[in-house]
Amino acid sequence: MSWVRARRAAIGLLGFAALYLLASEIGQSRLPDRIWMGAHYVENVKLLPTWRALVEEGTFLIQSNILVDSIAVSTRRVVLGLLLGSVVGILLGLLTGAASRLEALADPWVTFFRFTPALALLPLYVIWFGYGESSKVLLIATNVAVVTFLGAHQGVRGVRRVYLDAAAALGADRWLTFRKVILPAAFPSILASFRVATGLAWVTIVVAELINAQMPSLGYLLALAGAYPRVPNMMIGLATIGALVLVFDLLALLLNAWATRWMERAA
Amino acid sequence: MVIARRSLLWLVSLLALIGVYTLGARLLSRPDILPPTGEIAEAAGALLGRGVQLGAAGEEHAHHQHHPASPQMETLLQEGVTLQGALAVTTGRVLFGLAVGLPLGILLGLLMGASRRTDDYLHPLYILARSVPPLAFITYIMLWLGHSEAHRLIPIVYAVAVTMVIPTYHGARDVAAKYVEAARTLGARGRLLLFKVLLPAAGPAMLGGLRYSVAIAWMTAVGAEMLMAENGMGNLLVGGGLWSSRLQTRSDPAVIFVGILALAAAGWAMDAVVKVVGARLTHWARG
Repeated sequence: MSWVRARRAAIGLLGFAALYLLASEIGQSRLPDRIWMGAHYVENVKLLPTWRALVEEGTFLIQSNILVDSIAVSTRRVVLGLLLGSVVGILLGLLTGAASRLEALADPWVTFFRFTPALALLPLYVIWFGYGESSKVLLIATNVAVVTFLGAHQGVRGVRRVYLDAAAALGADRWLTFRKVILPAAFPSILASFRVATGLAWVTIVVAELINAQMPSLGYLLALAGAYPRVPNMMIGLATIGALVLVFDLLALLLNAWATRWMERAA
Repeated sequence: MVIARRSLLWLVSLLALIGVYTLGARLLSRPDILPPTGEIAEAAGALLGRGVQLGAAGEEHAHHQHHPASPQMETLLQEGVTLQGALAVTTGRVLFGLAVGLPLGILLGLLMGASRRTDDYLHPLYILARSVPPLAFITYIMLWLGHSEAHRLIPIVYAVAVTMVIPTYHGARDVAAKYVEAARTLGARGRLLLFKVLLPAAGPAMLGGLRYSVAIAWMTAVGAEMLMAENGMGNLLVGGGLWSSRLQTRSDPAVIFVGILALAAAGWAMDAVVKVVGARLTHWARG
């Protein structure tokens, strides 16, 4: 990243922070702080909390260990779901992608899962796996599996015929072709889908953690902040999830760069 | 011939799917976990507005007494919820989200893709915005705009827009750059450049993004309805308001199966439309 680009990025971010500062200081006296919540009024709501209020709330949440514990619990669920879901999804995708006879057979099953919004499975998972940890992790895993499955499937399908013919002409057997031709060629597609899946996993947890909601967890932290309502808490929660999504995205990108380092890249 | 064979296989596989399920449900014989196929069909019938009339159920359908309508089904029928009604509401929200979110996302993607300078300033902000899950700020929208349709629609719009930025951006920046240069040399500017060069060149990439946006819109809509809505498919599935923790009441798996099947069918149908329309719009790309 060049110097100019870094400076522009900083200006963009600082500009936003300054705009928020302005809006929150002006808004503090002008925005209503008595809010009708459908059944009753809530007093003393700061719709745009000042930076100071945000920092205070943040320090409280960190010092009381609420935030740290919540991050640990939610991250563990997301990581478990990601691992489980991507292993199953990628294996199935490679299998159906490589065996063309399976494709027509698997198609209706694939279509069904592909177009089912994974969140819709939540009530079913509660019935099947109870209110505990497994429903939450499995809901994330399902969401991840569907996305990575499609990525692996399309990755294998997209391998150029020429490569396969060349490998066959050189006498490679099926396993060698798979390991040395198909898998590397499908890798970018698989990793791209994995990157999408990390984002989806964090979307899912916001809802999944409302199954028998308990602290500590980021999903319930948000729900509680919304129920009171306590805006600074809400914003810290949103920012925390956002930051975690960023970290996971960065890790996925690094994995992508490392796994495809053999590829020739233009700049 | 190939197509006929493919669709035959498809049909066989679909029947096999139903067969395996029916068999599995019978072997397990736990209707609270895997409801029998017949029960799912019955639930579908009831939710489509015919079949079980609550009052008349006793005399007209004697066999129903083995498994009386579940609490969830009863509530839904009392509230006059029908499958087609709920699906129509959710479809409406999805379409609204797409109608507003797509232009927003495409505009932002083009802005960032066309100018290096704008990209440098806006990209970090976009990455921040993209990282926040749309379902997470439903309550914040409620504080501003009250208990209304807004807090169901805004997350969908947001999710669609954020999803659509990246393919448009890459389409405009990576694919179109050399065409833009050529067109500029020939004197093309403004609207001509946008509609004849930039958008068509980014088209194929955007089509992929569009199909993904549709899926995201459905997921966000169902999620938002599960959290906070009095109607729509998410409400049908969870029985209204996860945040009001009504999930404590035991739900009826047959109803949930019907809901999931309907959602899968609706998502599939919408994707098929997008695929056909998209193929028309970008037919030149495959030469």
